[in-house]
Amino acid sequence: MTISSPVLRNSMRLILPITLLYAMYAMLKGHHEPGGGFIGGMIFATAICTYRMSHGALAQLRLMPVHPRVLIFLGLGLALGTSVIPLLLGEPFLRSAVGEFHLPFSSHPFHYASAMAFDLGVMLVVVGVGVGMITQLSEELE
Amino acid sequence: MTIILSICVAVTFAVSIYLMTGRELKSIAMGVFLLGHAANLSIIAMSRTPVRHEPQLLKGAPILTEAFDAARPMSSIVDPLPQALILTAIVIGFAVMAFLLSLLVLTSRKAGTLNVEQLAAEAMQGA
Amino acid sequence: MTTSETIWLLLCILAPAALGCATLWLPKRAIAARTLIALLGPVASFVILAQHLAAHGVSAPEAPAATPVIEWIPVLHLNLSFLADGLGGFFGLLVSGIGALIVLYARGYFGRDEAALFRFFPTLGFFTTAMMGIVLADYMLLTVLFWELTSISSFLLIGWDRDDRHAVKLAMQAFFTTGLGGMFLMGGVLMFGYATGGDGGLWRWSEVLSAGAGRIDVSDPLIVWSFILMLFGAATKSAQWPFHYWLPGAMAAPTPVSAFLHSATMVKAGVFLTGRMFPVFAALEWWSDLIIPLGAITMVAGATIALNQHDLKRIFAYTTVSQLGLLMCMYGLGSLEYHGHANIEWDITQIANHAFYKAPLFIIAGALGHYISRDITQLGGAIRKRPAMVITMLLAGYALAAGPGTISFQAKEFFLYAIYHAQESIGPWWMLLMAMAAVTAVCNVAIFVRLLTTLMGWPGGMKPAAAHGAHDEHDDHAHGHGEHEHGPWAHLIWIPGLALVLLQYVGGLAPGLWGQWFAPLESHAAEAIPTALHAFMHPTLPLYVSLACMAIGAAVGLSPLMRGAIVDMHDRIYPAMYWLAVTGGGRAFRTVQTGRFRHYIIFVLLAFLGAYVASMALDPEMLRWPAVESAFEFIPGVLLGVIICATAILMPIVQSRVVRVIILGSCGFSVVGMYLLYQAPDLALTQLMFEIISVILFVLVLRLLPDTKETDRASGRWWRFTLGTLTGVAIGWLTLVAAQSGAEPKLGEWFARHSYTGTEATDGRGGGGRNIVNVILVDFRGFDTLGEITVLSIAALGVFSLFPRRKPMPTQLEFEEQIAGGAAR
Repeated sequence: MTISSPVLRNSMRLILPITLLYAMYAMLKGHHEPGGGFIGGMIFATAICTYRMSHGALAQLRLMPVHPRVLIFLGLGLALGTSVIPLLLGEPFLRSAVGEFHLPFSSHPFHYASAMAFDLGVMLVVVGVGVGMITQLSEELE
Repeated sequence: MTIILSICVAVTFAVSIYLMTGRELKSIAMGVFLLGHAANLSIIAMSRTPVRHEPQLLKGAPILTEAFDAARPMSSIVDPLPQALILTAIVIGFAVMAFLLSLLVLTSRKAGTLNVEQLAAEAMQGA
Repeated sequence: MTTSETIWLLLCILAPAALGCATLWLPKRAIAARTLIALLGPVASFVILAQHLAAHGVSAPEAPAATPVIEWIPVLHLNLSFLADGLGGFFGLLVSGIGALIVLYARGYFGRDEAALFRFFPTLGFFTTAMMGIVLADYMLLTVLFWELTSISSFLLIGWDRDDRHAVKLAMQAFFTTGLGGMFLMGGVLMFGYATGGDGGLWRWSEVLSAGAGRIDVSDPLIVWSFILMLFGAATKSAQWPFHYWLPGAMAAPTPVSAFLHSATMVKAGVFLTGRMFPVFAALEWWSDLIIPLGAITMVAGATIALNQHDLKRIFAYTTVSQLGLLMCMYGLGSLEYHGHANIEWDITQIANHAFYKAPLFIIAGALGHYISRDITQLGGAIRKRPAMVITMLLAGYALAAGPGTISFQAKEFFLYAIYHAQESIGPWWMLLMAMAAVTAVCNVAIFVRLLTTLMGWPGGMKPAAAHGAHDEHDDHAHGHGEHEHGPWAHLIWIPGLALVLLQYVGGLAPGLWGQWFAPLESHAAEAIPTALHAFMHPTLPLYVSLACMAIGAAVGLSPLMRGAIVDMHDRIYPAMYWLAVTGGGRAFRTVQTGRFRHYIIFVLLAFLGAYVASMALDPEMLRWPAVESAFEFIPGVLLGVIICATAILMPIVQSRVVRVIILGSCGFSVVGMYLLYQAPDLALTQLMFEIISVILFVLVLRLLPDTKETDRASGRWWRFTLGTLTGVAIGWLTLVAAQSGAEPKLGEWFARHSYTGTEATDGRGGGGRNIVNVILVDFRGFDTLGEITVLSIAALGVFSLFPRRKPMPTQLEFEEQIAGGAAR
């Protein structure tokens, strides 16, 4: 399903990078501010889907040249991996590590929690599911 | 606020039941969709009334500063737990919705009808 | 005793199975070696157990000495410890001894059938081990474990002929019945352990016996129920009426199995259990009230049905049922006091007596079936063809009739005395019991007389002309027509039977010798066994009764009455249950499961409304209007609410599908606003994205679907409207009441306090995030989230697989074209 409207096409070019960037931001800052894996994933999937509507299936394929199920498996694997690692270290399942580290060229300490890796897995799954379902149904329509 | 929310829950729930008992699969799907809203609204009502007249929108209260401790009373924020529950419920609801709609498409292709009575009659013949 | 004794007894239990399985590695043709090794198993068990009993003596019933514990699963009260008291030791010797004889008999029975022997010895060893385990285990749950193993091995042996559907069905019947009893037994044991103190309770037979009535409160309903459950287990295993149907059915097994499992050992497991429970539960009033009628009915039913059968194996199966009823009845009578002491004497002799004549009867029945026939009407004058076998059978049959000179006679006298003495406790009921025992005895005598006249070819025997219609269908014919071996094994097939039956006559003719062997095992042997002569010198009522029985029995046996073969009505019980479960269940399922979504919703909602009304009735507090703030204090909230309600109500009214999707979207966006009001920015964001994607999804799907209109009658709309309104009001009220219940959000507060830094409660460990909602999702409830993304993935994969992929991925060329085309547009 493609909507051939020049306005939409051209504005999408501008909107898409910003939306994707915001999705990443929402995911990464999600531990402290509104956001997180679910939200970031939904924003990301919505952006991709609107892009598909304006530019067509092949453009989407060029932007994201993998089948969405790859994202799903990657995400699930990442989430499961982060939850299993504490087990290998003799800690309870899913225990997260919290700490700070200093990035080079930055005086501000970077606060991290290992739960964020888990969140990244969640995001990948949500993106895969959202994009995958819309893509599948659109293909049926075409 | 709780009264308004309760009324919303009642109305959406009633409409979704009305739709779901219909004979048309599309209406049933929409009923399921509405049911999700009703349930989510019902849960969010449990997180007590928000701080009056001053909803802190995007800089909202559930985001805490380090200063959150015993000195700061719980009543200054809403209960975060229902929000966490609803958040996952929304996403799961999306997946279920998409699955349901896919099934709908397949059903209409295979059976050629979306009328529940006709579908049931066909299933009985098939069985 | 040391731990090594436990290991020795463990070896004693495991030897038959281990050696039986060892024969699997022998080449198939090595029949002699196979038999020898299989024989070694029960013999080893017998020797080890005898040595143990000789070295440590039979522990006294009041102070049973179990072997030291080797821990296995202590938390389940399931450890390795064994108790070789009189009852257990006797059963162990009986099982291993008869087991050894059966191995020899099986060699003659199966002949040179290599495949059968290959399969038979391991299975038989497996059973022997299970049976030894039951009788020697000290932990009650260990007994239960082995109990189930006997059910399994019995199933394997009954369904020996795997191609015979009927035999397999009968095996299922036996397995189901005894397995069900096993479940009850386990429930009883668990309940007993719980009632006596849970973890510190009584889980070992030795503790139970030594604690006696002291620690067990017989008025505790839990104890009573645990007794009833355990008794149910014992009754199914020991084929008590009305569960006896499985035992005649089990005759589909090869005769060595029938002789071993279904006459001498496995069916006695229930009697064994009753004997084990006797010292503890006999104080219960329920003991005699339940067991005596159960045993007496079984006794009479079995004997009368046995008289009206033609197949030798079925005749003996029903007399076994009858005898098992008698043994149960004996334990039931045992709890009635007579002159201040228990009304039970020489109970182990009673059990041994039955094993020593019933196993030979089966052994010879199988052998005769091999060479002539198992139908008694076909066996006229069989003594001329197979004299040794027939003589052995008649010797055993004489014991069945409890003729003087066999231990059976004394045993029968003891039983009649027990009934006679019971008049002190149960009043005139003893006469009914005595009449029932007399009927049983008459039937047994009549069966013997028929066997005698028929096999000897005397007048009065069974004639082939007699009703041949009811031919027995439980015949294990698979082994009846095979090639017969004519070696020494086949000719000596009756030897194991004779060995056992001679013990009968030792007891009958030399009770002193019998007493020497068995008195140490008996726990209720006050005085020596009298000789048969002694009974005749001092006649009492029981003697008169048994003499009268013999006379009537002989008359019945010679008379032309009751010579047909009848069908046991109880054989229909299991098929009826099976039908009820399978066919009836299917019908019930189809009645409830209409396949119509509408019906399911209505059922669920009606149940919900019913529960709702009930809870309102129980708690009138729920009906009170909760004190809430004004509805109009915050105008944006009111506006959003109005939009949500209006859009929802419009949904069923509007028919155009595009407008419907738009309405659905606007409803969702109003919900987004509602989340913002409730200070939930995360929710609002997610819901926003969800709405966008959903609208896209709906538009896509609606284009794929035909545009049909809702067609429902006006009456249908009315009840839908009513149901919807009722449920909606109910849920809305529930929301209002729950939200205003005033309970502090304890859980939410806990999450809030620990979301960034921890407290002492969490060892100072916090979630490390300031967004509580996100910390709850990825940390506190991370496992939940993991499950949720799995659900998401499965839903997506489901959608992928629902639609077959038709288009291959575009080639590079198409790719370029598309991009070029896109640029040109």
